[in-house]
Amino acid sequence: MDIFTVALWIGTIVFLLISLKKDKAKTLKALKMAFGMGKGMLGSILSIIFLIGLILTILPPENIAKFVGGQSLLIATVGSAAFGTVTLIPAFIAFPLVGTLVDAGVSIVPSVAFLTTLTMVGVVTFPLEKREFGFKFTAIRNGLSFLFAIIIAMVMGVIV
Amino acid sequence: MKIIKKAKDNIFLIVVAAAYILMFILKPDMGVTSIKNSAYYIKEMLMIMPVIFVLTALLDTWIAKEKITKYLGKESKVKGIILSFVLGSISAGPIYAAFPMCVMLHKKGASVRNLVIILSSWAVIKVPMLLNEAKFLGIKFMAIRWVLTVIAIVVFSWITSKIVKDEDIVQKEEKASGLTLNRESCMGCTLCTKNYPEIFGMQGKKAYIKSFDSEIDKERLNQTILACPVSAIRYNE
Repeated sequence: MDIFTVALWIGTIVFLLISLKKDKAKTLKALKMAFGMGKGMLGSILSIIFLIGLILTILPPENIAKFVGGQSLLIATVGSAAFGTVTLIPAFIAFPLVGTLVDAGVSIVPSVAFLTTLTMVGVVTFPLEKREFGFKFTAIRNGLSFLFAIIIAMVMGVIV
Repeated sequence: MKIIKKAKDNIFLIVVAAAYILMFILKPDMGVTSIKNSAYYIKEMLMIMPVIFVLTALLDTWIAKEKITKYLGKESKVKGIILSFVLGSISAGPIYAAFPMCVMLHKKGASVRNLVIILSSWAVIKVPMLLNEAKFLGIKFMAIRWVLTVIAIVVFSWITSKIVKDEDIVQKEEKASGLTLNRESCMGCTLCTKNYPEIFGMQGKKAYIKSFDSEIDKERLNQTILACPVSAIRYNE
């Protein structure tokens, strides 16, 4: 658990205790609400998680790195950005992986595109996001994020 | 009919389950690897989601709508943008952890633009992630990517707010009391707001469930549910 997660737990527990002291009935209602929210999202979250597990097995990140290394810049950038959208990889795997890519001489542009779409754009989380916010919001947020990920990557290619 | 509806609601889960079954038949060892790969994410979810749900519900209970509207609403301008970046950056967990929080904030008056900023910064510019990035890719790399990402988010959150209106965001209210309203099927006839104005109101062209403290008058609610022409209101005890 990183320090922010720990802080979140501690903060929430303190908040909960204060809330209990102030108004027990209201707090119990809030807890029931939290439970209802969890129940509502659990199915979708589990599907997302198991789908990521499946994708990582079929397309291991190392293979993606190999693919990106052997392509022309344009194909590598769009390809790695696209792969970044498909899955969610924890930062502690993604950063070392991209680090080795850059060290091995792969251009910085596809690496950055991959890093940015990895976390910001989600094809696997799309159904859940759509359910919570509606199709239009989800499509536009993800579409623009993808576009700007490529722009960020290209600008970085020029600067760095 | 009920089974079909249930299946439709869980179509994603069914597809994933089917993919796993197929994999276990064709390549059992890959199936096992997939489950193992998923284990990390399950752990991540268990570490963060319970606390997110409780915090969201507590904030929903104790923070007044006016406050959220003031600090994160359309009129909050630059202050709202900065606050949204801070909220997203100090958060923890994967992007889907931001969903319940953002739904609650939007319900209480946060603007579409600030919603996009919170979601996006929650995803890419979290502090622990930046530290990790600096470690593996260098401080300069991290700093430049951070600055560019912030600029990009400021720009595309503005674009999103021009295209997506508040009404476009489905407000799927889930109350502890088990009262739900399906805003996708609501056609805006306003019958429910006339039958039970204490609970139902209109937002945009669709009905929504107000936050209410009073006990539900079940008889009256039942009549309201029956009156809805598209059966968009549901109540489970």
